[in-house]
Amino acid sequence: MADGSLQVKGATPGQAAAMDYGRRPTLVGALSIIVGLLLWELAATQFSHFILPPPLNVFERFIDPAFGPRLLDALRLSFIQLGAGFGLALAIALPLGILIGRSHTAYHMFNPLINALYAIPPVALIPFLIIWFGLFLEARIALVFLMCFFDILVIIIAGARDVRSSLVDVGRSFGASRALCLRLVVLPALTPFLFAALRVGSARAINGMITAELFFAAANLGAILKRSAQAFDSASALAVVVTICLVGLAAQALIQALERRVLHWHLRA
Amino acid sequence: MLNRLRNLLLPCLGIALFLIVWEIAGRKMGDSLFAPLSSVVVQYVELLRDGAMLGELFISLRQMLIGFLAACVVGMPLGIAMGRSRLADAVFRPWVGIFVVTSTAALIPILILILGTGLALRSTVVFLAAVWYIVLTTYNGAKGISPEQIAVGRSFSAGRAQIFWKIILPTLYPYLITGARIGLIHAIRAMVMAEMFVIVGYGGLIHQTGMLVDTSSLLGLLATLMIVSLLANFLLSQWGKTLAPWYEQQRSTQ
Repeated sequence: MADGSLQVKGATPGQAAAMDYGRRPTLVGALSIIVGLLLWELAATQFSHFILPPPLNVFERFIDPAFGPRLLDALRLSFIQLGAGFGLALAIALPLGILIGRSHTAYHMFNPLINALYAIPPVALIPFLIIWFGLFLEARIALVFLMCFFDILVIIIAGARDVRSSLVDVGRSFGASRALCLRLVVLPALTPFLFAALRVGSARAINGMITAELFFAAANLGAILKRSAQAFDSASALAVVVTICLVGLAAQALIQALERRVLHWHLRA
Repeated sequence: MLNRLRNLLLPCLGIALFLIVWEIAGRKMGDSLFAPLSSVVVQYVELLRDGAMLGELFISLRQMLIGFLAACVVGMPLGIAMGRSRLADAVFRPWVGIFVVTSTAALIPILILILGTGLALRSTVVFLAAVWYIVLTTYNGAKGISPEQIAVGRSFSAGRAQIFWKIILPTLYPYLITGARIGLIHAIRAMVMAEMFVIVGYGGLIHQTGMLVDTSSLLGLLATLMIVSLLANFLLSQWGKTLAPWYEQQRSTQ
């Protein structure tokens, strides 16, 4: 494939592949966006501005001195729980995933359990999070963590299992210890999966960030979104949605750029 | 033989370990924080007898299916079109890229303004959460069809329609099933999320039970949700196996 996307076989095929969708801007793509915005403009004339404002009204919100800075401020605060939850999930899921993926016994023991727990929608755990963590920052961090933890874990386990045993055997026959094999063979072989986990995990974490801000005590971006919607100020609400969307796109682009630098040796499928 | 026994025994051991840890943790923390397994089992029988849980579940699932099927009907052809035609790919690619990273939760407050809080809202949320994953999985499959396969069809002078129905579509079966499985996971998540937001149906039941700090019922509700999700996933993958039996064999020999 020309878009330099990375095939991650076996690792929840679609999930990883879905995030894999390279975004090389093309002329047709740009035209398509413009046509889409025009269609939106056209559709907006059919509705009241309170319900569906035209795109220009939404973009006006960003330069509104009463709204733009407030949005940025909320975004900065939102990033605190995003970073904390996502970081915590990575810090636990990476070692745990390698451990489970590399050990035959641990894999067979815990994989069905992990799949079962993964099947529970994280949002359904919100009542528990309220009981344990209250309604504020701690609860939001916990939800971000839960939203991305299992997605990361599942991909890392698949990656750790995917490391070809012949590679590890070569290391062994050169007298490398288990630890050295892990560092020099398993970890590099795992990096493509690590990036897949980062891409999927970051998207889920951003999703968790705004979900948490809406479902617990409304805070930061979620508070602006909720209040704007309640005041029938759809333009402001859509501006928040556009912001979240841009954050998501920026995260994907950032991880992809990093991947290109780190993984230049990796064979592209 | 020994290996098979081990692969059967180890999962049971893992689950047993989990249940024991749950029981001990539950007894330590108490019913108001985290009910132990034993009281959840007792409560679960009560929930089944009461009927509200299963009643709400069926209504919610039926409504979820509307959005999910709509996502399949739109997503699968769109994915195939994008995978087979460069123009369709270029036109829809930026939009799919944008929507797949946009969280559906953020759209709910705006969708409520447009659609109200009824069935239309819930179906739309489910549709929006599931459709992009279905599109992308189908797209990856359609893009991966080797030109040789189609060339074989051409050299047997098959028409465009024949090539589509006899070569492209069967090759895509595993991807369509995988897309449906991933889409369904997201659809169930979105169903619960939308229902918890407007407090109706099964999600509403979870919300209300949480308000009562009744953790044994809450865990029972979560268990049911887990079983439904696993069951749906299992059924779809079984269907995939009968639809494309060659696929598993291919993968295991690779």
